[in-house]
Amino acid sequence: MNLQEKVFEALKSVYDPELNINVVDLGLIYQVEITNEADVTVTMTLTTPGCPLHDSITRGVRYCVEAMEETRKVEVNLVWQPAWSPDKMTAEGRSYLGR
Amino acid sequence: MLPQNMGSETNIKLPFSFIFFSLIALVLSQILLLVNGQMMVNGSFRIPAIWSSAHLLVLGWALMVAMGSMYQLVPVAFLTKIWNEKFGYIQFIVTAAGISTFSAMLYWAPQRALIPGILTLLGILMFLFQMFMTLKMQKKPTILTAFVGSALVCLFITITLGITLIYCLKTGVGAAYYQAIFKSHLLMGITGWFTLLIFGFSYKMVPMFALSHGFPMVHARYVYGLYIVGLIVSLISFFTGSSILLKLGFLLLLAGFSIFSWHIRLIVKKRLKKRLDKPFTFSLIAICIGNIIHLVAFITWCSHDSSALIGPLVYVYLLLWIVLSIVGYLYKIVPFLWWTYKYSQEIGKAKVPSLKDMMNEKIITPILSIFIGAVITVFCALAFKITILFNIGQFVLSIIFIIISLSIFSVFKK
Repeated sequence: MNLQEKVFEALKSVYDPELNINVVDLGLIYQVEITNEADVTVTMTLTTPGCPLHDSITRGVRYCVEAMEETRKVEVNLVWQPAWSPDKMTAEGRSYLGR
Repeated sequence: MLPQNMGSETNIKLPFSFIFFSLIALVLSQILLLVNGQMMVNGSFRIPAIWSSAHLLVLGWALMVAMGSMYQLVPVAFLTKIWNEKFGYIQFIVTAAGISTFSAMLYWAPQRALIPGILTLLGILMFLFQMFMTLKMQKKPTILTAFVGSALVCLFITITLGITLIYCLKTGVGAAYYQAIFKSHLLMGITGWFTLLIFGFSYKMVPMFALSHGFPMVHARYVYGLYIVGLIVSLISFFTGSSILLKLGFLLLLAGFSIFSWHIRLIVKKRLKKRLDKPFTFSLIAICIGNIIHLVAFITWCSHDSSALIGPLVYVYLLLWIVLSIVGYLYKIVPFLWWTYKYSQEIGKAKVPSLKDMMNEKIITPILSIFIGAVITVFCALAFKITILFNIGQFVLSIIFIIISLSIFSVFKK
C-alpha cells in the first residue's frame, strides 16, 4: 500500500458526526496528493456550502493525516467545485443511509 | 477547484448563552404556571404571576431561542460572519437582564416594569441592528435573505405596535384603532416574525438534515410573494374593517403556506437519508399542522361568527406550528453546539460520538406526542369553554415543557 492509499484508509476513521458516515465513503475526499515523499495535500468538499460542521470536519481530516507517522507537512484544501453530489458516495456510504 | 473561505465559523458560546438562558426561562415560566394553577382554575388569568409566566415564555424562551439560533444559523445559511460578536455578547446581557427584571417586576411590582421593559426593548433593537448589519455584509443575497430580512422587519413592526398599544392604553389616544393595532401586533409577531423566520431557515435545515439534493428552489419565490402580500392585505383589512380584504389576506397566507408545505415535501422526497431523525420529523409534522391551521383560519374567517375561535386558533398556531418547530430544531441545534464545544478538537485524533449519540432519541416521540395531545386538549377546552379540560391540558403541558427542557439539558452530560 502506497502513502496515498494509506491516507485514504486512515481518513476512513474521520466521520461526519451528523450522518455518521466516514468522509471517504461519503465522497468528500476528492484528491490526496503526495509531494516530496511525505508532504500531503488533501482536496475535499462538504455536502453543502455553509455546513455547520465545516471547521470540525476539515480539522479532523488534518489531525488524522498529521497523526500518521509517514507524513510530514499536511494541507487541507476545501473546494466547492465540483460540487458534492450523491453519486460521489461509495456503495458502503449509500447503504448506511438505507439506499 | 478553487479553495474557498466560507467565513461561516460559528462561535458556539454566543448562541449557547441565549439557548441556555431560554431553557431556564421555560422551566421558570412553567413552574410559575403550576404554582399559580389554583388561580387559573378560578379563571383568574390577568394576575401578575400569569403576566410574568407569559412574558418568560414568549420573550424569555421563544424570542431568546430565536435569537440564539440566528446567531448560529445566520453564518451557516448566509455564509457571512456575525457583524460584531462583542456587540452580540453585550446584546445578550442587556436582553437577558431586561427580560429577567421585566418578568420579575411583573410578578412583584408591575407598576415598576417600565424601566426593565425599556431595557428589554433596547436588547431587541440591538439584536435587530446586529442582524441587519450582518445581512448587509452578505455577498450574494438569496431568497433566504428575503425571508429572514422580512422576518426581522416584522419583529420591528411588532415591537412598534406593542409600544403603540401601551401608549393608546395609557393616554386613550387612538382608542378607535386599538383593536386594529392589537390584531396587527399579533399578526406581525406570530405570522410575520416567527413564520417567515421558520420558512427561511427551513430552506437551509430541511435539505441539510434530510441530505436532499437536486430539488427545485423556484417555489420559494411564490411562497415569499404570496405570504408577504397576504400579510400586507390582512394588515390593511384590520384598519379599514374590510371583510373582503380580510378573507383575501387569509387566502393569500393559506396559499403561501400551502406552497411552502408542498415545496418542503418535494425537498424531502429528494432526500438521500431514508430514515429521518425523530426531532426533525416533528418539525416536519409542525409544517403539516401549520398548514391545517391556516386552512381552518381561512374557513373560520369566511363564516359569519368567527370571533369565538380566534383565540384558540392563535393559541394552537403558536404552540403546534411555532413552538413545535422550534423544539424539533432545538433537539438538533443543542447537540450540535455541545458536540462542537466538546469534541470538535478531538475529531480525527480519537473516536468521537455522532450527533445522534448526544441524546436519547427514544424519548422524543412520546414527549412530543404527549405535547401535541396536551395542546389539542387545551385548544378544545378554549374552543368549548371547558375549564376542567383546560386545567388538565395545561398541567400536562407544563410538565412536558419541563421534561423537554430537562431532556435538552441532559445533552450537557454527554
